[in-house]
Amino acid sequence: MTTPTTRAGADPRARRAVRPAPPARPTRRGRRHPALIALAFLAPALVALLVLRLAPAAVALWDSLFRTSLLGGTQFVALGNYLELFGNPDFQNALLVTVVFTILINPLQVATAFLLAVLYTRKAAGSKIWRSLVILPIAVPPAVSAVIWSVIYRPDGLANGFLELFGLPAQPFLTSPQQALASIMVLLSWIGVGYWMMFLIAGINDIPRSYYEAASLDGASWWRQLWTITFPLVRRPLAFVLVADTVSNLLVFAPVQILTKGGPEGSTNLLMYDIFTRAYTLGDLNTAQAEVVILVLITLVIVALQFRLLRTED
Amino acid sequence: MTASLAPSQAPAGRRRSTRRRLGPVGTSVLGAVIGLAFLIPLWWTVVNSLRPGDETFRYLNPLEWRTFFTLTPTLDNYFALLDTDLGRAILNSLFISLVTVVVGLAICATAAYGLSAFKFRGQGLLFSVIILSFLIPFDAIAIPLADMFRDWNLQNTFFGLILPGLGNGMAIFLLRTFFLAIPEELVEAARLDGLGPWGVFRRIYLPLSVPALIGAGLMLFLFQWQAYVWPLLMGTDRDHVVGPVALSNLQGQFAVDYGVLFAASVILILIPLAIIIGFQRYFIQSVSTTGLK
Repeated sequence: MTTPTTRAGADPRARRAVRPAPPARPTRRGRRHPALIALAFLAPALVALLVLRLAPAAVALWDSLFRTSLLGGTQFVALGNYLELFGNPDFQNALLVTVVFTILINPLQVATAFLLAVLYTRKAAGSKIWRSLVILPIAVPPAVSAVIWSVIYRPDGLANGFLELFGLPAQPFLTSPQQALASIMVLLSWIGVGYWMMFLIAGINDIPRSYYEAASLDGASWWRQLWTITFPLVRRPLAFVLVADTVSNLLVFAPVQILTKGGPEGSTNLLMYDIFTRAYTLGDLNTAQAEVVILVLITLVIVALQFRLLRTED
Repeated sequence: MTASLAPSQAPAGRRRSTRRRLGPVGTSVLGAVIGLAFLIPLWWTVVNSLRPGDETFRYLNPLEWRTFFTLTPTLDNYFALLDTDLGRAILNSLFISLVTVVVGLAICATAAYGLSAFKFRGQGLLFSVIILSFLIPFDAIAIPLADMFRDWNLQNTFFGLILPGLGNGMAIFLLRTFFLAIPEELVEAARLDGLGPWGVFRRIYLPLSVPALIGAGLMLFLFQWQAYVWPLLMGTDRDHVVGPVALSNLQGQFAVDYGVLFAASVILILIPLAIIIGFQRYFIQSVSTTGLK
């Protein structure tokens, strides 16, 4: 086996696989200007991502520093819009609702997904079939889920039919300030839990069987095996699922817009919906842009946190 | 001491062994109950789409077998759908999603190739631009972007609806992961045979990456099919409205034909479901690649 040339040695891929040194390199134009060719291949995607993802974020940041008055003048106000936002009771309420929603729905969904993943990876009759029934709803678009559940939650709908079957009193669901947010969590979990469960099932299936066999021989109970083998070994997918779920739940919009319009009494006024009403119902685009910036920052912080966590683990 | 412990341990041990023997059955029953609970809303939607709209609420108080079954299924609601704007809206969704898959795959696959097959200075920087672009959630920046699109007169055009779905950082990431695993010897051999960069891409990379391409295609498709915020901001006139937006408009109306509403819901669910089930293997593969790597 020949030793790699110095140039191949600098190539990170050469470190992964020892390969024979390439013969004298052909001096075709393509080999001498790899950057130009790569850029040509990359250009359409780069333009798309810069214009359609990064530019709007930059525009939001820029616009959030100005205020447009009714007379048509645009004035630089620095952080004025942000200060106004944090003093605004509607925004404070939206922030509070979003925090409560985030703290409740994410642990609930991830814990449910994890327990179901454990349940459906055990050897039992029909496990694969029942598992696929939980996965089916992931195909339902959030807006469609909201429309279906709007009928289920009606006073004479399916939900109250089931309550009556179990001898429970009928509930108002979406029209009650106490229940509306929870009702939205249910319809989101219906389409979400199966999706996150798939990641965790993949993680659990990667755990070697022999670990459990050894633990069983040592007399470890099922519960102990769950906490000492399964849980630590799916930490990585679990961390990913928690962060990805948190980000997607920060962006919940369709159910709120379709079912409650943020009400009753602002109890479901999540951040995304608040941005939407501020921009289009109230017509205050500059302050809405400030809110967009806040939302993007929250998301980036959560994702950065994940990278931190996963890196220190290795 | 051993003697005093023994009697108390024995029943515990027996209890555990009984539990273990019941285990698979208990697991199966619990799994079935939960699975069926997840199925109920979907099942009810399908049954309601197969009976006249005025029967939607008839069998709910109290619940009975007819709540979940109908002896006289009819496709009338689906035929009625053809005459409504909702049918048109579903076709719009289909058109937007399919164009996004075809054009988006071309854009994302070439980008992934540019990132994985060449070594050049600044590569890391370009890759971080792509990572950053998918860390910023699209829905969050939809409002500033809609503002830009309004200035460019792209409102109520298919172009405006399709464009944001084309460059998908996640799909590029997935394809790049796959492309990096293509053996270099193969590429080297192809180059010696006289293939240029484009030839290597078309003849070597693409044919070897069909699973990843399908996975990325699914991502692009579902992004558009599930979109709600963007189409609500961008295309709401009769000719450009998409399925989910038209459906939610219908839901807000005073007199709703629930049969048609459920039929439209079923189609909006069935199309992605059929595609996911058809490409199940690739879907799960793409899910685990984006999640775990």
